[in-house]
Amino acid sequence: MADLARGTDTQITIPTTSRWDIIRKDLVKNRYIYIMLLPVITYYIVFHYVPLYGAQIAFKNFTPSKGIWGSPWVGFKYFEEFFNSYYFERLLRNTVLISLYDLIFGFPAPIILALLLNEIKSNIFKRTVQTVTYLPHFISLVVICGMIIDFLARDGLVNNILNRFGIESIPFMIKPEWFRTIYVASNIWQGIGWGSIIYLAALSNIDPQLYEAATIDGAGRFRQVLHVTLPGILPTVVIMLILRLGQMLNVGSEKILLLYNTSTYETADVISTFVYRKGILEASYSYSTAIGLFNSVINFALLVIANFISRKATETSLW
Amino acid sequence: MIGISKRWLAMGLVLVLAICLLTACTQSEKPPAATDVTGGGNTGDTGATEETSSSEPEALTLPIVSQPITLKYFWTLDAKAAASMTSYDEVACFKKMEELTGINIEWIHPPTGQEKEQFNLMVASQELPDLIHWDWSTVPGGVSKLISDGSILKLNDLINKYAPNFTKLMEEHPDWHKEAILDDGSYYYFPFIREDESLRLSSGFQMRGDWLEKLNLEIPKNIDEWHSVLTAFKQGDPNGNGQADELPFVAIGQSRVQYFEYAYGIMHNFYRDPDTRKIKYGPMESAYKDYLTTMRQWYKERLIDPDYAATDTKNFDAKVTGNKGGSYYGMLSGNMGRFLDLMKSKDPSFKLVGVPWPVGPAGKSYGPMAINAIQPVGTAISAQSKYQKEAVKWLDYCYSEEGKMLFNFGIENESYKMVNGEPVYTDAVLHNPDGLAVSDALIRYAMAVSNGPFVQDKRYYPQILVYPEQKQTLDTWLKSCDPSLQMPPITLTEEESQRFATIMNEINTYVQEMFDKFVMGQEPLDNFDNYINTLKGMGIEEAINIEQAALDRFNARK
Amino acid sequence: MHIKKSMGERAFDVFNTMLMMLLMIVTLYPFLHVFFASISDPTAVVQHRGLLLHPIGFTTGAYKLVFKNPMIPIGYRNTLIYVLVGTAINIFMTTLGAYGLSRKNVYFKNHIMFLITFTMFFSGGLIPTYLLVRDLGMTDTRWALLIPNAISAYNLIIMRTSFEGVPVSLEESAKLDGANDFTVLFRIILPLSMPVVAVMVLFYGVGHWNSWFNAMIYLRDRQLFPLQLVLREILISNSTDTMIAGSAGLDREPIGETVKYATIIVATVPILFIYPFLQKYFVKGVMIGAIKE
Repeated sequence: MADLARGTDTQITIPTTSRWDIIRKDLVKNRYIYIMLLPVITYYIVFHYVPLYGAQIAFKNFTPSKGIWGSPWVGFKYFEEFFNSYYFERLLRNTVLISLYDLIFGFPAPIILALLLNEIKSNIFKRTVQTVTYLPHFISLVVICGMIIDFLARDGLVNNILNRFGIESIPFMIKPEWFRTIYVASNIWQGIGWGSIIYLAALSNIDPQLYEAATIDGAGRFRQVLHVTLPGILPTVVIMLILRLGQMLNVGSEKILLLYNTSTYETADVISTFVYRKGILEASYSYSTAIGLFNSVINFALLVIANFISRKATETSLW
Repeated sequence: MIGISKRWLAMGLVLVLAICLLTACTQSEKPPAATDVTGGGNTGDTGATEETSSSEPEALTLPIVSQPITLKYFWTLDAKAAASMTSYDEVACFKKMEELTGINIEWIHPPTGQEKEQFNLMVASQELPDLIHWDWSTVPGGVSKLISDGSILKLNDLINKYAPNFTKLMEEHPDWHKEAILDDGSYYYFPFIREDESLRLSSGFQMRGDWLEKLNLEIPKNIDEWHSVLTAFKQGDPNGNGQADELPFVAIGQSRVQYFEYAYGIMHNFYRDPDTRKIKYGPMESAYKDYLTTMRQWYKERLIDPDYAATDTKNFDAKVTGNKGGSYYGMLSGNMGRFLDLMKSKDPSFKLVGVPWPVGPAGKSYGPMAINAIQPVGTAISAQSKYQKEAVKWLDYCYSEEGKMLFNFGIENESYKMVNGEPVYTDAVLHNPDGLAVSDALIRYAMAVSNGPFVQDKRYYPQILVYPEQKQTLDTWLKSCDPSLQMPPITLTEEESQRFATIMNEINTYVQEMFDKFVMGQEPLDNFDNYINTLKGMGIEEAINIEQAALDRFNARK
Repeated sequence: MHIKKSMGERAFDVFNTMLMMLLMIVTLYPFLHVFFASISDPTAVVQHRGLLLHPIGFTTGAYKLVFKNPMIPIGYRNTLIYVLVGTAINIFMTTLGAYGLSRKNVYFKNHIMFLITFTMFFSGGLIPTYLLVRDLGMTDTRWALLIPNAISAYNLIIMRTSFEGVPVSLEESAKLDGANDFTVLFRIILPLSMPVVAVMVLFYGVGHWNSWFNAMIYLRDRQLFPLQLVLREILISNSTDTMIAGSAGLDREPIGETVKYATIIVATVPILFIYPFLQKYFVKGVMIGAIKE
């Protein structure tokens, strides 16, 4: 122990090469910052890292009465069960495709809305649009999905309009090829206003002097958007994109359960809904934890990769 | 140097201690089962297990305790009760129980819709209240594990000693006894018992009676007659709007189309073959192909709503009340009662009739009437409870004659009156002054309309049906329904149920998808053999064996 | 800014206005639908298909039924407490974290950031978290809904990104004047970041308003239930499609369709008013104003 202490003492004399030295200086210089971070770090340790031991039940046959530590180990049994499932490939494909379409069409939509709102001169009109577009976020999914099913029924609103143009009714809800479109489009409908709030906040942080300078340089509105507005919100966009990529395999079950039916399983059945249906037969904590862990590993890997690329390319990154 | 290492040692010890305090110690601590007892002389947990000499049950004397005690009771608040109460404290029959027994109940009502999570957390954290009311068929890994782990009690000894009323019932009904125990003969709960068949069937085929009258048709009794009635609905314009927009048979999803399978002598699940008494799986029987052939034809002829797969409750209701749907499979109150309610002022000509279970190629009118009186829902007693004896006595009272009246009908001269020796609900229930619906009003007095540890009285059900059509319909269904495809309540072991869930999740998905494809005509019926082979590849035979083994164990119960 | 607009720009303005109008119609509709349905005649609502552009008949019966439920006032009171206290704790903690993690030259910044992001993906699950909360003595107290979700990593990242956007020069000059990090945070960063603080108030506040899961897990005392849990019970326990063959116990007449809509209105309208109050922070030029002060 004393040797060790002496060892560090001697190292200190070597200037700037010691890691401990840098850390010590950092701790002194940024002491207030670390004091501020202390409650945050404590919170994460207590509420997120202490319970982490529970993840082991993915490799155990967990029963509540035996507890997490007392349940027997089963290794990769639940992972194998999932990978060997007759439907594994289809579930993975459906999950990734729905997520991908949602990324391609759903991610830019709120950004575009924010940019368009930014171009509106009338403040009252702008505020009204904002307030109205964020309303659907608050309507429960059950009602939203009920409306979708009603509007898209064979004798529903959409088909009535199509009929008027001489197009025959399409039974949208039982056609597998329509499911992803319906899912993604309704996601945009419900989420565009709420999603744009964060970009509106970023827009309001842009220094108006930059616009004035651009105007003096003779830049038109389109070029102002390109050279002032977009760069201004780019860090936010990039961070949101990184976080979104970390959600690739997370397609929630709630909305799909409300929208799909036995005829559209082919394109609509995703990992979470499959796990949900198994839970009806037998609720296995271990199985759902194992699937969750599989999802998390892939998602986290995607996020780390996205973060790495972004750090190199745009200098914006999570770490 | 010694000083330094001592300090490290001390710090290490403190750390270990702190971790111990945080995790281990709290687990060993047993939560007090009851809180407000002050040195009651006749209480204590020793009596129940040590006196094992007498085999004759001790007669029940009231009050059960001379000093008031409090028991904690975990019980999901029924939706009907939630409409006007926040706890079962307010239910008259429970108030009366406290008066009679001297035992106060502290209710723990988990939030509706997520009771399962609460139950599992309760078991995982070993914070068990004295009494737990639960659907024990849903326990992952089975109930026997809860007993061996010391969560709930094996009740055989306690019942022998302190439950004369329950013991008497089980002796009088050997079949009930068989359904109430585990494969190894253990009693573990006080079940909800439906004493009569008439309480075990509440859904069936329903049809527009006024449409039948208009087209001069009889209520169909077999599959062929069904076909002609549905065809007449399609072509005869019974809604009188000049268009053939009628949907002769409407359904919420495929499951309600599948009730026609009974006519073909199969169920859309595992069932017990009436001849061989062996387990079979309906969707792989050859009769299933015949059934699919018929449904395919009906679908093609537009007799079945072409959008049955995508129809949700809302759309279904709109189709029936909007004069489009001609017949459907539905509940006695949830559908028939509701539709009659909605339409009585709008369209007085709107009539619904119950259709008997159809006879098909199988020659019998099979139906889904449950054959078991003992329901999986009931009350078990925590192994941690300090008042096991008192809890058993409290529960036993519910099975006495007086207890049965109390839990089914409530308080005499308040919620019911005796008329010619029969209990009849008063207007407090049937025409509640606060405007509550009949079942919502009844649960303010008694639990018959929900469930609980008692015998449900067959005299209760007809009284709460509001419309005469409902009573007639129930009669029609009961008379025609042959329950011999039904299975008794079997129990899977832990390994069995895990394996079963894995196999059946895939098979269910596959069978559901193929059903639509066969019926909607996307898959030729010639592929039925391939379909069977795929089912076999997915392990259907193993699943059948699992069920068969469980059934054999049930049959061997004594 | 008084430059003559080109034809193209004018065409764009017209197009943009039309598009926004259309978007408003499409997004306003669900809310109107729910509102109209909640005051319509129940039978008419059941029969109705397609667009609902006005109430059919008129009755407030559904609202009377909802407010008859003895849990509603309790739920409102509790939710108000959870939203106010919870959001305050969230903002405080998130601000502390976001500030530290947005500063340059903090040695452990990236390590901490990585470890926080890690928790967005990996967790111990429900049971260990429950046991922890229980061992901390928080079950069946209001703290269980306030402390275990004191920070959302997602929101922390958003706030941090915004803090990073504040020009470093401001901080440096303040530090030269002898300001410490607390001063920098409260005097410079926060006043300049009101838009993101408003976003945080909105996200956390709405989150607390809508949350029911933690309440369901940690609370047994119904006197502490938040509104959403109460309303969820009303909706779930009355859903019609819980049919299991042969079990008469599950058969019951569900509440009217209109009650469902009234429940949603009761649960939604109060929180909608939070946005217009926060909106003023989303206008351009906040920063300039702050610097000139």
